[in-house]
Amino acid sequence: MSQSKNKKVRIALFDFADCEGCQLQVTYLNDQLVGLLEHCEIVNFREAISERSDDYDIALVEGSITRKHDEERVKKIRENAKILIAYGSCACIGGVNGLRKKFTQEEAKDIVYKGREFPIDVGEPRPVHEVVKVDYFIYGCPTNNEETIKALKSILIGKGYTPPRYPVCVECKLKENVCLFEKGQVCLGPVTRGGCGAWCTSYGNTCYGCRGLLDKPAQEGQMDILKKNGYTLEELKQKFETYNLCRMMGEQNATEKS
Amino acid sequence: MRYVSLQKDKLPQFVNSLQKKYKVVAPVKKENLFVFATIEDPEEVELDYMPTILPPKKYFLPQHEKLGSFVKDNVAMADTNIDVEPTVLFGAHTCDIEGIECLDIVFHDTPADPYFGRRKKSIIIIGYECMKPCDEYSTCVTMDTLNPRAGYDIMITDIGDKYILYINSPEGMGIIGKNPIFGKVENERDVKTKLLKLREDKVKNFKVQIDADYKELNKIFGTSYNSKTWQDVGKRCVSCGNCTAVCPTCYCFDINDEVKLDMSGGKRERVWDSCQLDEFAMVTGGENFRKERSSRQRHRYYRKFDYSVKKYSKFFCVGCGRCTRTCMADISLIETVNELAKEHKNAK
Amino acid sequence: MQSKLLKKEMTIPADFLYSPRAATIVKTKQMTANEKFFEIKFDDGEPLGHEPGQFIQLSIFGIGEAPVGICSSPTKEDRSTFEVCVRKVGTFTNALHKLDVGDKLGIRGPYGRGFPIDELKGNDVLIVAGGLGIVPLRSLINFIIDRRRDFGNVMILLGCKGPKDRLFTDDMKEWERMLNINYACTVDRADPDWKGNVGVITTLMPGVHIDKNRTYAVVVGPPIMYKFVIAELLKKGLSENQIILSLERRMKCGLGKCGHCQINSVYVCKDGPTFTYAELKGLGEAL
Repeated sequence: MSQSKNKKVRIALFDFADCEGCQLQVTYLNDQLVGLLEHCEIVNFREAISERSDDYDIALVEGSITRKHDEERVKKIRENAKILIAYGSCACIGGVNGLRKKFTQEEAKDIVYKGREFPIDVGEPRPVHEVVKVDYFIYGCPTNNEETIKALKSILIGKGYTPPRYPVCVECKLKENVCLFEKGQVCLGPVTRGGCGAWCTSYGNTCYGCRGLLDKPAQEGQMDILKKNGYTLEELKQKFETYNLCRMMGEQNATEKS
Repeated sequence: MRYVSLQKDKLPQFVNSLQKKYKVVAPVKKENLFVFATIEDPEEVELDYMPTILPPKKYFLPQHEKLGSFVKDNVAMADTNIDVEPTVLFGAHTCDIEGIECLDIVFHDTPADPYFGRRKKSIIIIGYECMKPCDEYSTCVTMDTLNPRAGYDIMITDIGDKYILYINSPEGMGIIGKNPIFGKVENERDVKTKLLKLREDKVKNFKVQIDADYKELNKIFGTSYNSKTWQDVGKRCVSCGNCTAVCPTCYCFDINDEVKLDMSGGKRERVWDSCQLDEFAMVTGGENFRKERSSRQRHRYYRKFDYSVKKYSKFFCVGCGRCTRTCMADISLIETVNELAKEHKNAK
Repeated sequence: MQSKLLKKEMTIPADFLYSPRAATIVKTKQMTANEKFFEIKFDDGEPLGHEPGQFIQLSIFGIGEAPVGICSSPTKEDRSTFEVCVRKVGTFTNALHKLDVGDKLGIRGPYGRGFPIDELKGNDVLIVAGGLGIVPLRSLINFIIDRRRDFGNVMILLGCKGPKDRLFTDDMKEWERMLNINYACTVDRADPDWKGNVGVITTLMPGVHIDKNRTYAVVVGPPIMYKFVIAELLKKGLSENQIILSLERRMKCGLGKCGHCQINSVYVCKDGPTFTYAELKGLGEAL
């Protein structure tokens, strides 16, 4: 986006159905946040400031959209913002909120609010782009500050930001990590969108697929790898569900329809 | 003086003497594997090692190489000089040294690359000769990289009771100098004969895995462009780019701009890229000239066994076995080449 | 100092390999909805020193670089400037389109092998341009016009999607008017005002009469076009060496290193972008 010489770019953060962990990441930016604030100002940030404004250029939207009320609110944000960024996995792919889709609304209500009698609006969890147009995506649960900064700089200078289309393995190998498959663990790295700098796997964790499925996963190849390591598709699916049920159910529906 | 000897227990002392003047990078253990890393303590050095996860190319062609910096509203690039700390690459295998030689050819081809050139000049290479095979994936015998040839300053060979160091450059000589830890070699011709005999013998320990010899390889690739093997390899490939990252002779890169936080300027840098990734050969209009995984894998193999021969009269596979070792999908260089060799033979 | 060192006959000092030279936009023109024309001048006043068919790397710091074909002829009256015409398709070109007269740009190059002018000289030249293919070909056409006596018969066949997509319409009027040039243009889809030919570029081929012994065809267009045009040209008896093409690939470094533009064993940025069909025929990834 083009910047006029003196006016600072106004950034607003909003949260929907989520844990607000990605917003918390913003507070961890520390020095970098100070640098950014030389040409930006944050006008909405529930976790850190009390100011509220409807006048902003960039909206960082965190969380999945679930209820009718949320839908209206995010539409309003879309109207106000020149640039809308889906920020974090809940916003980008539905994230863990997607697990709700394993149950009917009634079942879910019953599990969570058992015995309590009050009207509660439970909607279908959706990534933001299923409700309004999203300009850019910053994936991750939580988002990785290095990527957030990279994306913001890139958007501010007018280049925009496209997350990598390659799997987590690319960055994992560059870090010279010992492959987790070699250590007998199920890792979702090969089918998960990279860009996180192989954050989890560099610390000995497996990849949980929080950045969502690749645009073009190699399904056959992936199955081979699983079989070779003694895992089943079910096991992979189960692990993948944690973050990706919105897309998985979506796809299921799409295929059912066709 | 071309040869000196070194008592085995003096090796740490040798490394220590290097550390006084240089940054020393050497193979160290990482879990069950090995990596090249800057060492603090000479005891960290693992000379009996499997090929490291990434080859030592990372010191010659870093994952991120700053080409220069810029300030806002100025189109000139400043700060194009790079400072490379004087470094010793210690314990490199002959296959990896050959890999560096391949990169050297590419980056010295006109127009010569100053960044690579400066790094190459600043890094002293001390090799360590393999006396036994690392595992079933290496093909150094076929690729003729098992024995030291060129591209190093000093080569260390374990002759049983002690090490023999062969000095191959003035820089190497500078390092050995008058350091009293090295023993004088009485008769250089005897040592040479001994090493030749040793090499003749050691090759028997190495199994030849590729069903074609060095000379046939290029002919095989001459007839294999449309082989169905590529379809099979492509089906298994998940495009993770690991094979190219770990390859000592893969050098493809991208050029990116990174701006500073306050947007006052930034840098332009060169970063590792991989021909295995979907977007590698895509133009801005969206056309992708190597859309299929099969064509991308074929491209990788041809860059090792065919295109490089056409362009630089050299195979760009050094037989280290890393691509096979690292591949989650078990795409094996040996199997692929053997499959092509079989087809080639049958077609005759 | 840099400009002097960068003179063509001198070797480029290593440090400047990736350093763009400063230039300023002196004229722009929105040619179509998506294509914009830029006339550019080096700040040191030196000419670009290119050959028709070569390309440059345009640089906007912070955004990056992009390879762009040069559309002006080195014989142009004002040699201190050169011209490019760029379609808005991605991040870089979006940023470029926002620039205007007075804005600064970085330039690396010229790079690559241009059209084989020396071989074309003394022969007839058939130029076939599809879509954006006219960009490098305009450089060649205007070169030929400026050196008209060096060439035999010249035919220009031009194809584009619709009348509104035509680039360099001012030049086209000139070419159409010139008596020593045969010029024909066709559009895939006409609009109500269009009175010219309608159909893909190959529909113009039957009307072309060439002396196969002394004609070179220079063809530049989208990948899909090559297959059909080459078939027609071969049918007319041209040899594979008489068909010259220019390829578009993702040139990143321009120095024959980074691998992005590689097709089989050749680097388009260094060995090309212009090739004879004979050179490309055996390369599986070329056409």
